[in-house]
Amino acid sequence: MDQEVLAGVEKSDLAQIRDLDIDDVIDYVHADLKRLPDYLDLYRRYLRQRWDVYELDFSQDIRDWNTAMTQSERDAFVAISSGFHHGERQVEVELPVFMLGGSEESKIFMSSQIEDEARHTIFFDRFYREVVGLPGESVQEVLDASFHHVSETFVGPFGLLAYLADELRRDPEDPVSRVRYGTTYFLWIEGVLALSVMKITLTYCRNRGFLPGYYAGFTATCRDEARHVQFGMRFLRDSVAEDPRLLREIHETLRTILTINGATSRRIALESLGWSPEEVRRLMIRQLSMKLNDVGIALPPDLQQMVARIEPELAGG
Amino acid sequence: MIFFSTDWAEAVRGAVDAGPDDALRATKLETYWGWIDQARADYGESWALGRCKPDGHTDYLLLRWERGHCVAATVTATPSEATYVLSADAQTWHDLLAGEDTGRIVMYRRLRLERGEVLSFFRIIYFFVESVAAIGRVPATLDA
Ligand SMILES: [Fe+2]
Ligand SMILES: [Fe+2]
Repeated sequence: MDQEVLAGVEKSDLAQIRDLDIDDVIDYVHADLKRLPDYLDLYRRYLRQRWDVYELDFSQDIRDWNTAMTQSERDAFVAISSGFHHGERQVEVELPVFMLGGSEESKIFMSSQIEDEARHTIFFDRFYREVVGLPGESVQEVLDASFHHVSETFVGPFGLLAYLADELRRDPEDPVSRVRYGTTYFLWIEGVLALSVMKITLTYCRNRGFLPGYYAGFTATCRDEARHVQFGMRFLRDSVAEDPRLLREIHETLRTILTINGATSRRIALESLGWSPEEVRRLMIRQLSMKLNDVGIALPPDLQQMVARIEPELAGG
Repeated sequence: MIFFSTDWAEAVRGAVDAGPDDALRATKLETYWGWIDQARADYGESWALGRCKPDGHTDYLLLRWERGHCVAATVTATPSEATYVLSADAQTWHDLLAGEDTGRIVMYRRLRLERGEVLSFFRIIYFFVESVAAIGRVPATLDA
């Protein structure tokens, strides 16, 4: 990996970020996975990389949306983004319970991730309000207005996260609950689902030269994801190193997630954004395998088979 | 039928056992229903769905599944034998009957899992969500 390119991703401010290539930002997510920075390194990086969601300018996006994009492009884009709009809200509200446990360093980092997720929720709130043109006085009303675009299968991973958060609330220090929660949140929702949607929608924007405000904000979101995923992989790796029996919990959680992943309730016209279902499937498998390999989490044969059968699933947080 | 009455519970049993009709099936991809059919095929657990009343008491609709069929539905004061115990407040049940989306009820944690293994519960989640949606479609009169 080109160190200069990675340094560019590391240091860009919001105005420069629209010149970054999404592939480089995804490389940046993985660049540190073998080494895995500690929680305070990630916190310092957060302080440097934090961006102001109200600085984004959507005026060109509004013109692109209304005049340059076709109806089928808009439909596919909204269908995919809605899973993220609701996903960001869900990961924001379910995260405080995880901050109640763990080391002091972990809690400090978590405070930054909660703020990131809230900012990502506002990013989508602004996009839906200002570009897509959904009505609503409050954040909730805009969420309600986009809800009918959200697939029936959203409740699989995100409902699971909500219920695991409830389990964790009963004992925030319980290592089993924390690892189950961390596998669902950091490995699957952020590490696989979110990064795949980012790659699909941002590649589309870049190839077509559309939606520069969305591109800048969502690329900055993706760079935030790098910290979240690196935190999460470090957390899972350290948990298993401390108690090898926790590997079983990662496997059981993945078994559940991959069982849920087999259901698809709506067809999304991915082709209009330049993607085939098979390409999305391969992208998701790659996202998952890279993380598991880098942090040294091996899978038993039945899980390997389930991974090979992953179905395209478009949401994130 | 009065909500949470014996008659209503029997109507609920019939509705969840019958599964989706053709009109409903047509609204979502067949693979989604296929997943549910598979999740349900050998299903043999039981669900206690609680309604927390303003007076602090909770009553439960107990649904018992055997080999993929709903073989019993009763209203009880305790969920003792159920594999999974969930509960919601009266407003949530009211909204469900008024057509609120079941997936949204779950993701906003308005229906909470109080007892039972969360990972195994979620392995049949769409079967559960569609069954609760079917309960919401059984006409019922809410008592005061
Ligand atoms: Fe995140
Ligand atoms: Fe996020």
